[in-house]
Amino acid sequence: MAAHAHERPLGGQILTSGFKFLLALSAVWVALVLVRLVWGLNGPFGNDPLLSVSAQSDGYAWGIWKPLNVVTFTGIAAGAFAVGLVTYGFNKGEYHPLIRSCVMAGAMGYTLGGTSIMIDLGRYWNLWVIFVPQWLNWTSVLLEIALCVLAYTLVLWVEVAPSILEKLETSANPSTAAKAKKILPALRKAMPFIISLAILLPSMHQSSLGGLFMVAHTKTHPYWHTGWLPALFLISCLTMGFGAVVVIENLTTMAWKKKLDQPLLARLSIIPAWLTVAYLVIRIADVFWRFRDPMVQARHAAMGKPLFYGGFFLLELLVFAAAAAMLFSKGVRENRGKLLGAGLLLVFAGALYRFDTYLVAYQPSPGWSYFPTPLEILFSITLGAIGVTVYVLFVKLFPILSGVEATNAPDPVGGKSAASH
Amino acid sequence: MTITRRNVLKGLAAAGAAAGAAAIAEPAQASEGKYHQAPDDVGMLFDSTLCVGCRACQSACKVRNNLPTDSRSTQGGVYDAPLDLNGSTKNIIKLAQDGSAITYMKMQCMHCIDSACISVCMAGALHKVQGGITAYNAATCVGCRYCQIGCPFNVPKFEWSKSLPVVEDPKIVKCELCRHDQRGPACTEVCPRAAVIYGKKADLLAEAKRRVKLNPGKYFQDRVYGETDGGGTNVLYLSPKDVSFAALGLPTLPDEPLAKLSESVQHTTYKWGLAPVAIYAALTVVQLRARKNEDHGQKEEK
Repeated sequence: MAAHAHERPLGGQILTSGFKFLLALSAVWVALVLVRLVWGLNGPFGNDPLLSVSAQSDGYAWGIWKPLNVVTFTGIAAGAFAVGLVTYGFNKGEYHPLIRSCVMAGAMGYTLGGTSIMIDLGRYWNLWVIFVPQWLNWTSVLLEIALCVLAYTLVLWVEVAPSILEKLETSANPSTAAKAKKILPALRKAMPFIISLAILLPSMHQSSLGGLFMVAHTKTHPYWHTGWLPALFLISCLTMGFGAVVVIENLTTMAWKKKLDQPLLARLSIIPAWLTVAYLVIRIADVFWRFRDPMVQARHAAMGKPLFYGGFFLLELLVFAAAAAMLFSKGVRENRGKLLGAGLLLVFAGALYRFDTYLVAYQPSPGWSYFPTPLEILFSITLGAIGVTVYVLFVKLFPILSGVEATNAPDPVGGKSAASH
Repeated sequence: MTITRRNVLKGLAAAGAAAGAAAIAEPAQASEGKYHQAPDDVGMLFDSTLCVGCRACQSACKVRNNLPTDSRSTQGGVYDAPLDLNGSTKNIIKLAQDGSAITYMKMQCMHCIDSACISVCMAGALHKVQGGITAYNAATCVGCRYCQIGCPFNVPKFEWSKSLPVVEDPKIVKCELCRHDQRGPACTEVCPRAAVIYGKKADLLAEAKRRVKLNPGKYFQDRVYGETDGGGTNVLYLSPKDVSFAALGLPTLPDEPLAKLSESVQHTTYKWGLAPVAIYAALTVVQLRARKNEDHGQKEEK
């Protein structure tokens, strides 16, 4: 496809000091995983607020690793879903230049999320059972998520493959180059069938990530517990995804010599503005509608702490509303810094909604509380660092980013030898 | 119907709307393969007005289920004194307070007729067995702990202190009505006041109702908890008149099973896999047409 010729590898030195720092963080993550595997999810010191690997307990069986590593990381990764939907589902080819960067970030986000889930499993060695059809329980929302996320992660890496193959085409090794030349056209031909999966699958599991809490009627605060959880999670994953695209485009432009297509991002960013409006309308109408039910009012009263729950609920609405208000302004969309601010706000709003649903709104019964331990937070940060590490490596080696200036990579398909300053 | 971009949009919107609508609409029927109460189902009846808090049931449970102690040392002595259900405790007696009124509460798995834990379990590690017992099979458990999120009574517990496969083999721990033992639940066998009794669910419900009828005003709300709560449970409760079920730790539940909402949304959205297949087909057609137009345009330019 002609449109794909715009992407170039960044080239340049790989082992920069920043990259070494990322590698060090990644090593910390590996160490934390080893501690978890040997001593369990609480770690060698049991459930201790300072020393535990995680503060998860029988009351809070899921800690921050679910809403952060899985649901927020894949929400950011949903940039691939959001831009893919617009570019292919709605045939807006103008957004093609953004696709590869999104898909790369998406592949990393989902790989990390999936990895985090597996490490969080208490009996990970049994995971194979979810591939035995006759044992499966299709009423389990989590099963749908598990299978769907695994499939989609695979699909995302297949979507990354053309970038790698394009690089291999220019390989010095003639047999590698020949193989790449053979595979590429076939893969391109199959792409529409793969891209359809790449839009269908995330719409299924991103909604289910909210649907997980529909079963917890009495434990999820009524501001958050609703049958609309799947719809709200689906819409807000798209707004997060669009926000993440703006943020990632800006970060890559700040980090490397690369042009940013501000008019393109400005045009794209009107979509999350409307989506946010849709989200807010459903969210608010739903709360009003449900609170007419005396049982819901009773649950609200029983949970208590009106300032705590009400505060988080209002904060959430405000952040979404602020993001939408910014995005509806043409001046904001066309200004790089302001649009970046709005993009960050979109990501934050989606993340807040996810944290609220999974942890703030969740109260198993009186007496239980949860706050992540330092190591638990470090686990998430270092896991994120692995994502950045691999992303940086890939955009330097393979044609993924658009608008890369020729001085960075004189050869359209570049390489490690590309001139760096 | 020709497949256009607009139709794809419609399809996506319809799927979203279906999910939402299902949240409001009453599902026509319980899904096939769901558990329904059988005449032979067993359960327990706990009458809180009879319990004296001796905890004989607690130690008998540990013995019959071969559970380790949860020891605590205080004032120079060491006691097996769990504070709540946990990885080594499947049954516990707690003091319940409602204002100035106090009573004892016995907590263990409620063996819901239509258990939320079973509905959320990915590969049937939690499932129904003969007698309507909600049973656990570690062989298909991946340790996701969604059952802990789903259970409205916070019953399933995890062995957090264990980690390694085979050697430690951490599991979900919960009462299975001593189904491994011919004699039945140890707790009901040792209770000196017959505060907790074991039998067929139908008989226990009749007995509970008889007690309520014989002693009007003795029991809270003159009703049996578990008859309809959360779709009904095989373990039934009677509470003294001045101690609410909520004070016992039994949540106020709708009369339908808790998983009904998630199951109906899931079933409506994915009915016969129709919506996903339709969306997939529409997306693919849109792209193939776009690609064809693109090729066509290029040829014309030449």
